Amino acid sequence: MLRFILRRLLVAIPTLFVIVTATFFLMRAAPGNPFDGERKLPPAIMKNIEARYGLDKPLIVQYGDYLADVVRGDFGPSLKYTGKSVNQIIAENFPTSLKIGLPALILATFLGILLGVIAALKHNRWPDYSAMAIAILGICIPTFVTAPLLVLIFAVKLSWLPIAGITQGLKSYILPVIVLSLPLIAVISRLVRAGMIETLNSNYVRTARAKGLPEHTVVIRHALKTALLPLVSYLGPACAAIITGSLVVEKIFGVPGLGKSFVLGALQRDYTVVMGVVILYAVLVIALNLIADVLYAVLDPRVKLT
Amino acid sequence: MRSALLLTALAAASVLLGCGRGEQKAVRAPCPSGEACLEMGVGAEPTSLDPHRSSGTWERQIISDMLVGLTDADAAGEPVPGMATHWTTSADALTWTFFLRDAKWSDGVPVTADDFVAGLRRIVKPELAAEYAALVYPIKNAAPINEGKLPPEQLGVRAIDRRTVEITLEHPAPYLPYLLLHHVAFPVPKHMVDKYGDDDWMKPGNYVANGPYKLVSWSLGDRVVVVKNPLYWEADKLCFTRIHYYPTEDRISGERQVLSGTLDTHTPLVQNRIAYLRREYPQYLRTHQSLSTQYLFFNNTLPMWKDRRVRLALSMAVDRDFMTTKVRGMGEPAAYSFVPPGMPNYTPLPPPEWASWPLEKRQAEARRLLSEAGYGPKKPLKFEFMMRGYDPTGTYAAVQADWKQIGVQAVLNTTETQIAYQNYQIRDYVFGEAGWVADFPDAMNFLYLLDSKTGAHNYGGYNNPAYDALLAQANLEPDVQKRAAILRQAEQLMLDDIPIIPLFTYVTSNVTSPKLSGMVENPGDTHRARYMCKAELKK
Repeated sequence: MLRFILRRLLVAIPTLFVIVTATFFLMRAAPGNPFDGERKLPPAIMKNIEARYGLDKPLIVQYGDYLADVVRGDFGPSLKYTGKSVNQIIAENFPTSLKIGLPALILATFLGILLGVIAALKHNRWPDYSAMAIAILGICIPTFVTAPLLVLIFAVKLSWLPIAGITQGLKSYILPVIVLSLPLIAVISRLVRAGMIETLNSNYVRTARAKGLPEHTVVIRHALKTALLPLVSYLGPACAAIITGSLVVEKIFGVPGLGKSFVLGALQRDYTVVMGVVILYAVLVIALNLIADVLYAVLDPRVKLT
Repeated sequence: MRSALLLTALAAASVLLGCGRGEQKAVRAPCPSGEACLEMGVGAEPTSLDPHRSSGTWERQIISDMLVGLTDADAAGEPVPGMATHWTTSADALTWTFFLRDAKWSDGVPVTADDFVAGLRRIVKPELAAEYAALVYPIKNAAPINEGKLPPEQLGVRAIDRRTVEITLEHPAPYLPYLLLHHVAFPVPKHMVDKYGDDDWMKPGNYVANGPYKLVSWSLGDRVVVVKNPLYWEADKLCFTRIHYYPTEDRISGERQVLSGTLDTHTPLVQNRIAYLRREYPQYLRTHQSLSTQYLFFNNTLPMWKDRRVRLALSMAVDRDFMTTKVRGMGEPAAYSFVPPGMPNYTPLPPPEWASWPLEKRQAEARRLLSEAGYGPKKPLKFEFMMRGYDPTGTYAAVQADWKQIGVQAVLNTTETQIAYQNYQIRDYVFGEAGWVADFPDAMNFLYLLDSKTGAHNYGGYNNPAYDALLAQANLEPDVQKRAAILRQAEQLMLDDIPIIPLFTYVTSNVTSPKLSGMVENPGDTHRARYMCKAELKK
């Protein structure tokens, strides 16, 4: 097991290197630059700016400089938010994304499993149909529809919760967490339902039932563990995506998360910000996939990590 | 069964959504007791709070509540004495002398003429790489210093004594008092910049202010917090003691927060919401004609646009009033000239005669002009119209439809905004559209765009030596009235050539609680928080 983890960590280094390299050159290959706008800057000013950020050097030199900085843990200054460095942006915004992402993930996992198990146990009966209808709706209705709807009802009309911002303490986080978890609940419940139906038809569950174990022991102790396997492999990358924030949720709720750095950074050609968040995301995906693989071995005795 | 459920759901929803509107029990951010808090949505995250490294209106709002230049804006955005109590101008209009008031930075250090010299030298020094440095190019030697050809000490600004600043200009600039209330010309606390350097003096903790408010914190994406600066010379007149600025990037959410009372004011709005707000919340919506022009332009370097009759026909056929009132629904004033109305020291040019004709007559005339130029049903005029980004309001689809009426086929091409600008600048397009908002209120700020020496910024590549000569002449004219006359002559000459098709003047817009006073709408959308108050806070 330890050897497996060590080997995976070693493989992560070249993986990250490839990701950094590809992102760097793809970003630079995109037309335009961070300082393009309505007002073309006078050449003298453009030259000053390029010199300040080292953008006047040959691309390959810039790449070398960047790699050296990244190795030292310095993601450089933001080209758009001149008052902040990329490290600062991540340090300020990542905790907020975590505060919304983690509860959303927990809520979604709990409700998703609950709905999935109910649907599987009442297979092809009305609880199954209603749970799956909710799931389909959860997947189909995009967050940019659910978010304003919930705002309209709970914030504008009922005034129970704030419309946006994070100045109201815990209350500020309720709607963003719910909106973020809705599509996730849907996916998780479908995954669990499929896994559960398959497991409930397997021989060892039949054996457990034949031994006369009560139904809840069969479901919770025996079946659930196996039924959750597909969920584990899904949750790894999903978790990375959720905790790095969502542009839609952040924009609509005025939440200072990391999600918009991905999208706006790319649109504004803020090279350093995009690179920084891509590296962060890649590290998270690699780490969480590793954890998922280890969990797999824990949950399923048939899986051997070598 | 199913339909009954649906009906119940609909009924429940209509009860929820249909109930009263307007401010209910507002959920506001906590305000420390004893403080009066202003909650302001500024529409975007500041890129920097450094006066010389920012260019957005949202940054201007925050920075101008903390720092004050030689002149300052009154509630309507007009220049009034700021740090300078008065000033004098030399006969040739090239040398301006400003006399400073006795004032202190928020850390107790006196504000001196040196802080202004340091500020202006700072924005033009090449190492700072200030995007907006070109705004102060009217100051003597600013351009060569910014290009690295002269040392910053050669800048036409000097401290005559501790409380007197002298500014020497390259050419007469009657708009200097306006320019000086822009944050590019703000002073910096020289003692702090010397101590912490160009990058760190503006961090919370180091930032000292000479204006009404001082910085407490700036958390990215959340808010910027400032509190009253007790050393500000009119600190006792301030109504709000604390301001929270939110980067309300979702404009509809910002609008709702004002309507529900969470925020006191928010700008900007989604343009196509204005008609709705005007109808439903007239007491919240505030608009004002801005100093801006939305216009279409020909790539005048292409042979296909050589024929003036074609350009005139296309301009005539656009039904501007229908576009702004019916398609856009905002009712912006139609524009037929490039310099917008309301420009100080300028009288707008009258619209052309055809502007008052009924549309049918204009279309008939346009068709006649096109056929004279060799176009007709057998050989229609076809071209590609490159737009900046998508067209949510349908403005250009309306233009396209107007042209279809006279047999012209324009293909709308949506191009990513930045890329469209690049193509305009290298003239890799046939027909384009752009808007221009005044950097400072002067006709020259518009007219220079069509000067052939302007280069890339002259998107249409308009080149008329007579026009260029008139602008050069106006630039040297010290008399404000004579200067305006020359500029009008230049604009008329250019408009007669039809290198552009002016469409309309934009309006500024914000939603503001009717309880908030001291916010006077103005063309530059300049609103200093120091004038704002609420009836319940008045002593």
